[in-house]
Amino acid sequence: MVQTLNTVVYDSARRPHPFLEEWIELVRYRDLVVQWANRSIKIRYKRSILGVLWTLLEPLIIMAILTVVFSYAFRVAIQNYPIYVLTGLLMWDFFVRATTTMVKEMIASENLAHRIYVPISAFAVANVFAYAFNWLIALVPLMGIALVTGHPMHLPIITLPVTMGLVMMFALGVGLIVSTISVFFHDFSLMYDVLLRAWLYLTPIIYPIDIVPEHLRFLLWINPMTHYVRLLHDAVYFGRYSPLHVWALCGMISGLALLIGWWWFTRTRDAFAYRC
Amino acid sequence: MDHIPSEQFVTALAGGTAAAAPAVELRGVAVRYRLPSQPVHSFKEYIIRRLKGQIRYQDLWALQDITLSIQPGEFLGIIGRNGAGKSTLLKVIARVLRPTRGRVIVRGRLAPLLELGAGFHMDLTGRENVFLNGTLLGYRRDEIAARFDAIVDFAELWEFIDMPVRAYSFGMLMRLAFSVATAFRPDILLVDEVLAVGDVQFRKKCMQRMGAFHASGTTIILVSHHMDLVRQFCERVVWIDHGRIRMVGEPDTVIRAYTHYVMGHERRS
Repeated sequence: MVQTLNTVVYDSARRPHPFLEEWIELVRYRDLVVQWANRSIKIRYKRSILGVLWTLLEPLIIMAILTVVFSYAFRVAIQNYPIYVLTGLLMWDFFVRATTTMVKEMIASENLAHRIYVPISAFAVANVFAYAFNWLIALVPLMGIALVTGHPMHLPIITLPVTMGLVMMFALGVGLIVSTISVFFHDFSLMYDVLLRAWLYLTPIIYPIDIVPEHLRFLLWINPMTHYVRLLHDAVYFGRYSPLHVWALCGMISGLALLIGWWWFTRTRDAFAYRC
Repeated sequence: MDHIPSEQFVTALAGGTAAAAPAVELRGVAVRYRLPSQPVHSFKEYIIRRLKGQIRYQDLWALQDITLSIQPGEFLGIIGRNGAGKSTLLKVIARVLRPTRGRVIVRGRLAPLLELGAGFHMDLTGRENVFLNGTLLGYRRDEIAARFDAIVDFAELWEFIDMPVRAYSFGMLMRLAFSVATAFRPDILLVDEVLAVGDVQFRKKCMQRMGAFHASGTTIILVSHHMDLVRQFCERVVWIDHGRIRMVGEPDTVIRAYTHYVMGHERRS
C-alpha cells in the first residue's frame, strides 16, 4: 500500500537560520540531553566508588591546603577561610571542568555526527548539566564544614540555585566558543588551559578582594567571574543579598556569553561534518 | 464546466489516487570538500598563514550533478566502487552533510541504519543503552518506553537486559542495536553495508524486518557490494562513479554494466 506523504520533513533549501534551527532541534532532542547527562554521570559513578568521592575530595583537599597556607595571612579580612575558599572553588571547579571537557565531548561526538544527524549542541548542554549535578552534590560537604566550623547560614542562601544557573549559562557560552575553535585547532584548547590558570588568580577566590590595592581593583572588575563569585560569597559566606546591580550585571554577562557562544557555534556547525 | 487536468482524470478513471510526491528528491546536488594544500593543525599556524595569504585550497568534489527522485515504497539499490561517493550520498540524504550545491528534499520520517550501536557505552546496562541509543536516533523517551518490551523481545535478550553491555557478545550487541534502530517503522530507511557484520541468523532477521517494512510501504535505500542481495531485493539500481550518477535502471542491466566495468578495470591494471 503506497503512502501518499506530502509533508516535507527536510528541505535543504528551506532551512530556518542555523541560529534558530539548532534551538528547534535541541528542543526536539531534549530527551537526548537528559540521557546524555545521565550517561556522563553514571559512567563516573560506575567506574569506581572512588570516582564519585574523588570529584568531591579534590576541591576539599585543595581547600584544606589553601587553609593551612593562607588562613593566617588573610585572618583579618576573612574569619572563616575554609567556607570562603570552598564556595568559590566549587564554582571554579565546575566552570573549568564544564568548559574543558566540552571540547572532548564535541570531538568524540563528531564520530556520531559523521554518520547520523544529531544536534551537537545537545552534548554541550548535557555536559554542563552533568557537571552542575556534581556541583550540587559538592554542596553537601560544604554544608557539613559550615556545621563543623559553626558558620551560620542565612536566608539569602536560597539565591544559590539562581547564581548556579547564571554560571551554567556563562559556562555554556564560553564552552561553545572554545570547543568550536578547538574542534578545528587542537592546540587552542591548550591555550585555553593556560588562560584558565591565569584567570583563577584574577578572581578573588583564594584571596579576599580587600588585599588588592585600589588602583589594581579594576583588573578584577573586568573579570566576569569576580561578579559571579561575589554573588556566591554574599549568599553563602556573608549571608546577605547582593545589590541589584550585581544581579543585573551577571544576568547580562550570562545572556551575552550564551548568545555569542550560540551564534559562534551554530554558524560553524555545518562545517563540522565536512571535516575529514 | 471546470477543466479537469488530464492526469487526474486518467488516474481517477483508473480508480487510483493522484501521484504522490517523491519520498526523497535530489536536485543537482553537489558536495565539495575544501582541503588546504598544506594541512594546518595549529591555531597559530592558521593565523600566520591567513595573514600572509598563504592558504591555498584544493577542491574535492565528492558528489556532482546528482539528480534523483526516489518514490515512496521503492526499494532502491546504490552500487559503485569504494570512494565513488555512495556513503556521501547517504549522508546528504540523512542530513549529516549539507549539500554544497543543489537541493535535497525528504518527505517522511527517515531512519538511518548506518551506525549500529551509536553511543553505546560498555559500562551501562542494555536497558540504559536502549534509551541512550534511541534518543540519539531522535526518538522520545516515552516512545521508547512504550516499545521497550518489543525491542527486547526482538533481540531475545530478556535475561541480559539489565547487565552491563560489557558482558554481551558481539552478536548480542548487534541484535540489540539493530532492534533499537528498527523499533519504529520509518517512512524511509537508509541501509549502508551494516549487514556485513553479524552471523547468518542475524542477517536473516535483518532482511526479514526490512522486508516487513517494505511490505508496509517503507522506502528503502540500500548501499551494498553484495550484488546478489541487490539483485534479489531492489527494484531500481543507481550506479555512482566518481561522484556522479553513471547509470540508473533495472537491477540486472545496471549490475551487468557495473561488473563488466569493474572486471575491465582489473584486467587493465
